Amino acid sequence: MKKIDITCIIDDDPIFVFGVKKIMELIGFSKNIMVFQNGEEALNNLKAIISANEKLPDVILLDLNMPILDGWQFLDEFVKIPCEKKIIIYIVSSSVDPDDILRAKSYEWVSDYIVKPVTVAKLKEVLVDLEKVN
Amino acid sequence: MKNDQNNKENAVAEKRENYLKKELYALIKEDSVLFDFLQEAALDGLWFWDLDQPENEWMNSKFWTTLGYDPNKMPHKASSWQDIINQEDLKDVYANFAKHSQDPSFPYDQIVRYRHKLGHTVWIRCRGIIIRDNNGKPQKMLGAHTDITEIKKKEEELSLKSAFFEQVIDSTDLGTWQWNVKTGETIFNERWAEIIGYTLEELGPTSIDTWVKHTVFRDLEKSNKLLQDHFAGKTQVYECEARMLHKNGNYIWVLDKGKVVSWDEEGNPEWMVGSHQEITEKKKAYERNRLFIQQAPTAIAMFNKNMEYLAASQEWYNVFKIGDIDIIGKSHYNVVPEIANKWKISHQECLKGKVIKNSKERIERFDGAVQWLSWEFRPWFNDENDVGGIIIHMSDITKIKREEELKSLLAVAEDQNKRLRNFAHIVSHNLKSHSGNFEMLLDLLIQENPDMGDHEIIKLFKTASENLTETIVHLNEVVLINTSVDENLVGLNLWEATNKTIESVSAIATENKVTIKNLVRQGVNILGIQAYLDSVLLNLITNGIKYSSEKRDSYVSLSSWIEEDYVVISVEDNGLGIDLNKHRAKLFGMYKTFHHNKDARGIGLFITKNQVEALGGKIEVESKVDHGSTFKVYLKHEKN
Repeated sequence: MKKIDITCIIDDDPIFVFGVKKIMELIGFSKNIMVFQNGEEALNNLKAIISANEKLPDVILLDLNMPILDGWQFLDEFVKIPCEKKIIIYIVSSSVDPDDILRAKSYEWVSDYIVKPVTVAKLKEVLVDLEKVN
Repeated sequence: MKNDQNNKENAVAEKRENYLKKELYALIKEDSVLFDFLQEAALDGLWFWDLDQPENEWMNSKFWTTLGYDPNKMPHKASSWQDIINQEDLKDVYANFAKHSQDPSFPYDQIVRYRHKLGHTVWIRCRGIIIRDNNGKPQKMLGAHTDITEIKKKEEELSLKSAFFEQVIDSTDLGTWQWNVKTGETIFNERWAEIIGYTLEELGPTSIDTWVKHTVFRDLEKSNKLLQDHFAGKTQVYECEARMLHKNGNYIWVLDKGKVVSWDEEGNPEWMVGSHQEITEKKKAYERNRLFIQQAPTAIAMFNKNMEYLAASQEWYNVFKIGDIDIIGKSHYNVVPEIANKWKISHQECLKGKVIKNSKERIERFDGAVQWLSWEFRPWFNDENDVGGIIIHMSDITKIKREEELKSLLAVAEDQNKRLRNFAHIVSHNLKSHSGNFEMLLDLLIQENPDMGDHEIIKLFKTASENLTETIVHLNEVVLINTSVDENLVGLNLWEATNKTIESVSAIATENKVTIKNLVRQGVNILGIQAYLDSVLLNLITNGIKYSSEKRDSYVSLSSWIEEDYVVISVEDNGLGIDLNKHRAKLFGMYKTFHHNKDARGIGLFITKNQVEALGGKIEVESKVDHGSTFKVYLKHEKN
């Protein structure tokens, strides 16, 4: 099982972030984890990383409902940034609104839509999926 | 005896006359005063002509005074009158004289004109007699003048008058008739015939039958009735509108008017005169107006000052529930006796010239039903200040009011729906993330401390957390059912949908040892929304699996048929069944949603029912405890 280098969590819910980090540790999901509390913080930092030519995350877990810049707005901005590396994005949301799920599918970069809560089992599935892609 | 006596008396009377006549004749012979009196008092001129010496003629003084001349200055010569007589008439005079002198039985009698001294014409009737000798040879001639100027004047005036009336009648285009009621003799003028397209000659000989023959029978009956009224003195003038058959085959309308001008000794009408006026255009215009009012889509009526109907629309009949009677000329208060006093007061105010209206009047009827009326009373005027009556206009706006109420209700419902959606949003995004966190943390806790998984409280905690999540998911689904999808329905193949659903539950079906049979007809389309159809099928099939009986080989059987505009989908199982006596009312409700009793169907059926109804269908259930249940779903059939 090839470990993911960097995973990026963009979510404003500290409990969720705490939980996901714990699960990732448990199942050895990723070597490094970076966390941003909203879309804007994530965008700024990721831009900085690109311009500094530093290592970008391999996977992004993106929440939809966030303050300042929400998940959709982040996606709309992020796809505009020229970037050589292919980053796999998962939307992780509580919303079961069919409109949200359909919309997520319209983004080329979005691999899947994970409905919260995130459990050990679900993250393991993601890991299996990622290996298939790689 | 008696005859003898009469003869005697007659003989005596004759004698008496003779004796007086003789006495007068004798007196005249003896006394010239009497003759002078006679020729002065009884005649307007006397002349005596000598035919042997024709220039000699004696004229009495009255002869000249009648003509304006002084008798003392006029010579007793024939030439004196021959100069002032009309020369045309003089020719007649000579002609008549010649005839009379030839034949004494030919009367010398003519009317001649003299020029009065003042210039005007004097009309004289001149009579004369020739006195002859024993051989019959004319000797002298005696003549008498009578002044008939006054009579001539009257005659002239009369003819002028009659010419004047003829002209008046001509200029008014009136046909005229003179009818002898007793004999039926009737005289028409040329115009009378022209009105119906004929000449008098074509119609002749005319009589009252000429009228009868050309007039519509119903109108004749009416005319006869009105004539009787006139004969009986009930009307000053006879007046009747009647249809007559024109020569060109069309019916025309005439206004027939007349009056009896002479009566016989017994008081029966004798001569009647009258006129015909063609009123076809007027009648047509009137008929158009009548139709216009009658067909008006609202209740409208026109009244005179006595609140008697002049016109009313058909809708007026409907609103006031007036049967098939003629109300024209009848009082509104007799036609609609239950009319409220306050309306009568309003009518009176309106008759004084005031416009009164109400756009929303609530009326509670005897049966308690509420009616909304919009009405208007408006005076109409003969001229500027003279109110001729009123026009009432009413419309039943109950429907409109009801629609308004519905609209406001709809607005409230829409508003509530919106809030419900917001609520769903909150549930979806906020509550769900919290409950999700609970689940995740518990999962994590057990992962980190596997021995805690057996801890009773942690186990219950986990169940509670899962139930909370599930409840939130269900609630969310309920709120998200869109009840106004009716217009967005698309055709869906029923067999494909059932097949797909059956495949997706095949795992749990096998696990529960339930056979699923798809007997749904292929090639039938329903009108629906894919997500709803799938959800309905999934719910019903999983219910059938969940509540299967362990006592027998279980099955869930799906079939379909077409009933009128619907496709009926039957989902039948031989499972535990439902006690419908106890649960029918609750079956499709939201009851027991939060309990997980074994016999509760949860919120699934509630959602199913809502989804089916959103698609414009319905759901029915038959069930027997320990025998099984059959759900029948009616969905709109998409015909090709």
